[in-house]
Amino acid sequence: MTKLNIVRQSATTPLVPKNSIAGRTLMLLIAIMTFLSCITLGGVILVQKSAIAWSSEVGRQITIQIRPLEGEVMQSNLRTAISLAQNTPGVSNAHALSLEESQKLLEPWLGAGLDLSVLSIPRLVIVELTGARPEDIEQLRTNLGAIKGASLDTHAAWRQQLNTMAGTFVISGILILSLILAATILAIVFATRGTMASNRTIVDVLHFIGASNAFIAGEFQGRFLRIGLRGGLFGGITALLFFFGVSLAVNNALPAAANAQLSTLFGSFSLGADGILAIVMLVPIIAGLTAATSRLTVRSFLKHTS
Amino acid sequence: MIRKAFALIRFENVGLQYGNAPEILSDLSFSIDPGSFHFLTGPSGAGKTSLLRLLLLSLRPTRGSITMFGKKVNRLNQDRLLELRRHIGIVFQEFRLLDHLTTFENVALPLRVLGQSEAEYTSNVKELLEWVGLGKRINAHPPLLSGGEKQRAAIARAVISRPDILLADEPTGNVDPDLSQRLVHLFAELNRMGTTIIIATHELELMEKFNYPQMQLSNGGLTFHD
Repeated sequence: MTKLNIVRQSATTPLVPKNSIAGRTLMLLIAIMTFLSCITLGGVILVQKSAIAWSSEVGRQITIQIRPLEGEVMQSNLRTAISLAQNTPGVSNAHALSLEESQKLLEPWLGAGLDLSVLSIPRLVIVELTGARPEDIEQLRTNLGAIKGASLDTHAAWRQQLNTMAGTFVISGILILSLILAATILAIVFATRGTMASNRTIVDVLHFIGASNAFIAGEFQGRFLRIGLRGGLFGGITALLFFFGVSLAVNNALPAAANAQLSTLFGSFSLGADGILAIVMLVPIIAGLTAATSRLTVRSFLKHTS
Repeated sequence: MIRKAFALIRFENVGLQYGNAPEILSDLSFSIDPGSFHFLTGPSGAGKTSLLRLLLLSLRPTRGSITMFGKKVNRLNQDRLLELRRHIGIVFQEFRLLDHLTTFENVALPLRVLGQSEAEYTSNVKELLEWVGLGKRINAHPPLLSGGEKQRAAIARAVISRPDILLADEPTGNVDPDLSQRLVHLFAELNRMGTTIIIATHELELMEKFNYPQMQLSNGGLTFHD
């Protein structure tokens, strides 16, 4: 016998053997669930941010539309409308869209190379706001009554639709997130039960030497907490890399047109510090959920078997 | 005879049955004094292991009353039973050592459960392992130990927390006669230090050699022979 054999090795072995839990499988499962949770949460954050940005952008502009009417001089009406708008409190700028600009707006529907001069199309005046009150807008609407064929569009219907769509997306996201977390809890419950059954000998020995249920549950909880933390970290980091990669692709790899469309849909496609913080916070939440679920399952198992 | 004064263990009309089967233990009434040494014997299936499990508080009697350490255990909840069980050491016939722990860690397990740190219990565990002849096997895992070594490790685990009662279920069943006698000497030594010992065995030769009082189980009943 060598001297090495009788020197006590210092590290204390965990009472629940490392290889007794299907640890890697469970860790992978938690990583996937965390990834899906983070993607869902990130998607919700992106859409909400874009909706707020859209709403804010659309809310900073209103449009005066002047329809061409028999006996009315369009250029005169445009000047009057611009003047009325500029004299309204909270309006920073007002300008009429040129025929070329109107033509560009209609291109997607009517095609390129269109000569608008032969068509009687309404003309638009873009009014930019800087903190106009609703009563100022209503006053402008009343004043525009003096111009025949003029109407004011505050884009309220668009904003309402946008808010409804964003709200639906957020609620759907929260529902999906809840379902993923519920599926994670169920998976942990099954994994814990399997672990307890395969470690029945250890549980029995611990009971015979007087270990309390709380002590045994703590041993199993510690192991599951570590698995939850590892899986959560892996899934969370992968999700952050995913968002980072997509952001890079949108900004650099995609053609300008596609980039512009995505920017319109998702803003800058950036989570921002608060979005990243929300995803980072999911990791300890999922690890804690893993530990708490396993503890409850173990306590329930011990209650029925001891 | 029921000796009520200072009894460490007292059974009164205890009966035990599994499901709807006939009672395996019937009307057991006896008491065990602190510091005593008994062999528990009887034919196979007589209920030796069941009686040991009642004494270990891992089974509740179907009827009757059990008093241990001055407490009626029938009405105690699970947590209180586990607390009392820490005063009882148990040696199983099949050892029940945990294969992923070293000999040292297996023996230290009851102290770990009691919340002691490794620094607190290391010297005690090493001393005990030396005493049972396993001083050079502290880092070995159970699959690498011989039958006798496993049995001594199981005994060391049972006594490391200095229990008031030591129960052993056929502790010499898996070892040769020479080691059997050495193990009983070990129990006798523990008994001299104040531990109450009950050994379940069917080895008549061993019981005759050591001449301790015998508890004989037969047909569900129990008789004492000094």
